[in-house]
Amino acid sequence: MKMKKAASLLLGASLTVSALSACSTGNPGSGDSASKNGTTTIEFWAAPNPPQQAYWKETAKAFEKDHPKIKIKVSPIKESPTSEASIQSAIAGKEAPTMSENINRGFAAQLAESKAIEPLNKLDGYNDIIKSRNMNNTIKGWKFSDGNQYVLPIYSNAMLFGWRLDILKKLGYNEPPKTYSEVLDVTKKLKAKYPDKYLWAKPDLADPTAWKRWFDFFMLYDAATQGNNFIEGSKLVADDKAGVDVLNFMNDIRKEKGILTKQSKDPFETGLGIFTDIGPWTLSYWAEKFPEMKYNETFALSTPPVPDGASTKDVSTFADTKGLVIYSSAPDNEKKAAMEFMKWVYSKPENDVKWMEKTNLPPARDDLASNDSFKAIFDKNPALKPYAEAIPNAVPSIDNAKYNELQTYIGQYAVNTVVKGEVQPKKGWEKMKQAIEGDLK
Amino acid sequence: MRTKHNNRLGWLFASPYLLYGLIFFLIPLGWSFYLSITDWNLIAPVFHHVGFDNFIKALQSPGVHAAFIVTFKFMIVFVPMVIASSLIVALVVHGLPRFKGLFLIGFFLPYLASGVVSSFIVKGFLSYNSPVNTFLRSSFGLDVNWLGTPFSALLVVSIIMAWKFTGYYALILTSGFESISKEIYEAAAIDGVNGWQRFWRITLPLLYPALFTTLILSIGVTFGIFTEVYQLTGGGPNFATNTWQMEIYKQAFQNLSAGYASAVALIASVVTFISIFIIRKFLEMWGKRNGWT
Repeated sequence: MKMKKAASLLLGASLTVSALSACSTGNPGSGDSASKNGTTTIEFWAAPNPPQQAYWKETAKAFEKDHPKIKIKVSPIKESPTSEASIQSAIAGKEAPTMSENINRGFAAQLAESKAIEPLNKLDGYNDIIKSRNMNNTIKGWKFSDGNQYVLPIYSNAMLFGWRLDILKKLGYNEPPKTYSEVLDVTKKLKAKYPDKYLWAKPDLADPTAWKRWFDFFMLYDAATQGNNFIEGSKLVADDKAGVDVLNFMNDIRKEKGILTKQSKDPFETGLGIFTDIGPWTLSYWAEKFPEMKYNETFALSTPPVPDGASTKDVSTFADTKGLVIYSSAPDNEKKAAMEFMKWVYSKPENDVKWMEKTNLPPARDDLASNDSFKAIFDKNPALKPYAEAIPNAVPSIDNAKYNELQTYIGQYAVNTVVKGEVQPKKGWEKMKQAIEGDLK
Repeated sequence: MRTKHNNRLGWLFASPYLLYGLIFFLIPLGWSFYLSITDWNLIAPVFHHVGFDNFIKALQSPGVHAAFIVTFKFMIVFVPMVIASSLIVALVVHGLPRFKGLFLIGFFLPYLASGVVSSFIVKGFLSYNSPVNTFLRSSFGLDVNWLGTPFSALLVVSIIMAWKFTGYYALILTSGFESISKEIYEAAAIDGVNGWQRFWRITLPLLYPALFTTLILSIGVTFGIFTEVYQLTGGGPNFATNTWQMEIYKQAFQNLSAGYASAVALIASVVTFISIFIIRKFLEMWGKRNGWT
């Protein structure tokens, strides 16, 4: 009898513990958004990098002063294994925050398809944000195929190519080449003078990981097509001629022995390669780790090279851009408070100035290059100016929920095999199209 | 009456494990079965049932075919490598007059090291402009693409894995060596047995239980390789190092196909179970035929 009691007690205790742990959300903010005095608390997940977290913490504090009825809890998104995976598991475990930053358009498409995020354009105050932040043009590229806007872009890194200006000068060039033929000429001269150097030393070129295509293929493709879409909704609308031109360009550099795809440490900084994609975040990294990298002395920035005969003005490029979303699982009062916060942050350029000072990431606004508020930043760091100027021509990533598989095919069937000389560009392009179209069905 | 009492006590003592098994094994397994017949993407609120489509798709997928073959390739390269190195370490440590424990701890340390960190170091070591590669190029004209060709990538990952597991298996083998009675060797010496005969006829048969354990453990490892592959090659080049875990991770967390990834995981577990069962039976038969078990 005693044993029966003990067993029942043990079972009861374990069931109670299980029940209690099942009830816990582990997220004190969720489910109880309004406290006794009518304060709404929202959970904000910031990108897992210290300057961005510091910015959001400071901004949230300033906002709370003006809005005592709204409290914002800022915490970093866990990056293990990736910030996207953390968000997915939070949603699956019903632990999603009210809002978060660090969302790209491709991931947003996955979230939107699963109804995990709110169409911002259907929430009160959206139009006020677009108007007060002066981002009518920038936001256009963010429209999703269902006509909604799910993400408010915070920053837009119009990706540029960096050139080792010091080495270019030794080859007889005072500025970076602009067309495919000019780049090939540089490659030939480089190999003649420095056989151990490469034009493009980048192991990522041989790696099929989906996001790596943003920083090689899409930069060149956007430039070759003046920002033509690659996929619209669930249809591949890629420009065949431009696509094959891009692959031919890579193949021509390979034939000149100008591409190195082996793993190498800091190839651009050491001068092993003289051409690479550069985002504004690299500038802060260099200031700390490679102070010898000086703008317009050691390196120059340029928009991507274009096919011969194409215009070299207002060249389009890929926009590495991320933004804010509001999660559908949040209660209405939290969604409203989140919109209030966004409206407040983007009602004055000073917040964007502070953002840029802290992070070096160009705010996604049309007037970045012309607004006087940002002049002091560009005067202090002139390398940021080309990024600001390129924003209106920067194309965000595709908005298809299968972007990961689709971009993997671009690498697997086209880019990776072409740079390794395993397939002819036209054939690679066709195989890639076949794989993408098969998956889009 | 006494038996009934013992039964209850038995159930009571077994209950934590049963509860653990239920929560951490049976429920997840059932959940995985359920997911494998849906197209759930980890975040959607609804589950669409797709029958056995995920299994059919997986069986036709190049990624899954590669995972199947790559596991056996790893087995062929990694298992002999790790068994040989752990046998050597165990033999050397066993022959030491003192500080055996200290040496064993030293060899065991890589097992505790983070796979991420060791892969990161190896990546730097093998980079095109590392001192090793610069030396190979300048002295011998050797320009090896360590992680870019299928065989060398497989070899590099196998070497890291062998480095990691050598100390752990050496620990098991050392205890196997220690359990062999000295009298047997003394008797063999009186009978005029030479060194090779001593190893082949005495040491190996008596060590076989420990060796059998390390063999089965190392074979099991090849079905679960992930961190090193994820960090170093991402499953490439051209699927040459795409393991089961890599494929499951890619499908679940990169492509957000949790349902499909569950189907792959179930196929992987069946393949793992059958393979290890067959290999185990083969090793048992081998042991019996040679009179080692």
